[in-house]
Amino acid sequence: MRRAVRLTLFGLSAVVTAGIAAFVFGEFYNLTAIRQHPLWVFRAIAVGRDTVVALDARDVEVPADFAPSADPQGVALYRKHCAQCHGAPGVAPAEFALGMMPVPSNLVAAARNRPPREIYWFIRFGLKMSGMPAWEMRMSDADMWRLTALVEALPSLSPPDYAALAAEVPDRTDALVSVQSEAAETATGTAIGDPERGRIAMQVHACLQCHMIPGLVGKPDLHVGPSLGEAGRRRYIAGVLRNTPENMVRWIMDPQAVDPLSAMPDLGVPEALARDMTAYLYTISGRLPPGRSGTP
Amino acid sequence: MKPLLVLLALGVLLGCEFGGKDRDAARTLLAQHGCGTCHVIPGTPGANGRTGPPLTAMARQAYVAGVLPNTREALARFIADPQAVDPRSAMPDVGITPDEARLLADYLYAVGSGS
Repeated sequence: MRRAVRLTLFGLSAVVTAGIAAFVFGEFYNLTAIRQHPLWVFRAIAVGRDTVVALDARDVEVPADFAPSADPQGVALYRKHCAQCHGAPGVAPAEFALGMMPVPSNLVAAARNRPPREIYWFIRFGLKMSGMPAWEMRMSDADMWRLTALVEALPSLSPPDYAALAAEVPDRTDALVSVQSEAAETATGTAIGDPERGRIAMQVHACLQCHMIPGLVGKPDLHVGPSLGEAGRRRYIAGVLRNTPENMVRWIMDPQAVDPLSAMPDLGVPEALARDMTAYLYTISGRLPPGRSGTP
Repeated sequence: MKPLLVLLALGVLLGCEFGGKDRDAARTLLAQHGCGTCHVIPGTPGANGRTGPPLTAMARQAYVAGVLPNTREALARFIADPQAVDPRSAMPDVGITPDEARLLADYLYAVGSGS
């Protein structure tokens, strides 16, 4: 009896393995952005996603004074960060976004179907493998709610309404600088910042695109910028600057001020987050005891 | 698959070039100029410095000194005259000739996990 069960299990797993192998190596699953998922896969993903988002967004605290609002400040943000993919009433997405898979959601439809806390959830946390980025740490909370208010107001905007608001935008670039000041407000006040927040900050600033970073999952053999496991211990930053916490912060915030020729780009990291990143780099290279912030 | 094969072929090629004489010459140069006091260089006795970056995967680095696209010529130029590549670099000019620098560039590409 035992033997029969074992044989059956073995046979079953062999068949499943062979099936998966045939599926993958037979190129039965198309990975291109041309061929869509089959309908049942698409539906299954949508049901799973909506269930998880609805549950997760229950923790979002909607401000008491929240109301849908279409004002030029919100439109300024929307045009800078959202319209390229999602379009707007009467406005097509940018050229690159037309070829995306999945196609970015139309936010008029999204606003009609989703409560504000879910819209905010998508803006703040993004959605894996959908092309939707997380704006966490890169946009102030006030701006994320401003955008949520605008998205919720989109169903009430005609194309001419939207165009009229957009026409006022050039005068409202002040809407786009609030990230810096808010990050400064939430600074820990220590000499170099909070390592764990620094770890997340490095992730949402795409540092992984060029660097291997212990503690973040990434390509195992990437040599565009140096691996950062020992960055806190190196004698020099970028091969030019003495490695001190203050210099590290300076380098992260403005690489070209340190070395005009450097291939490291300016990622617009505000000072508070640069301090957090520095704290993380010093922690993983052992120059700062883990779990504490302060001056090494 | 193809890039891997090319890399492999390159490795074999460089490996062949770096039998005996050239390899010894490169090692002598590295020792003479004290490169190992600042850099980790695989396969090179005594090269275990931690001041400059480790040169363990030089063939796969995208940039030389974080500044120039990584080609044999660029690497050799940086070794021979670092400040000509980046005036702010902390890497000292140790008086290596352009020919010697090219030999060292080939050596660095050939050694370590990058080959």
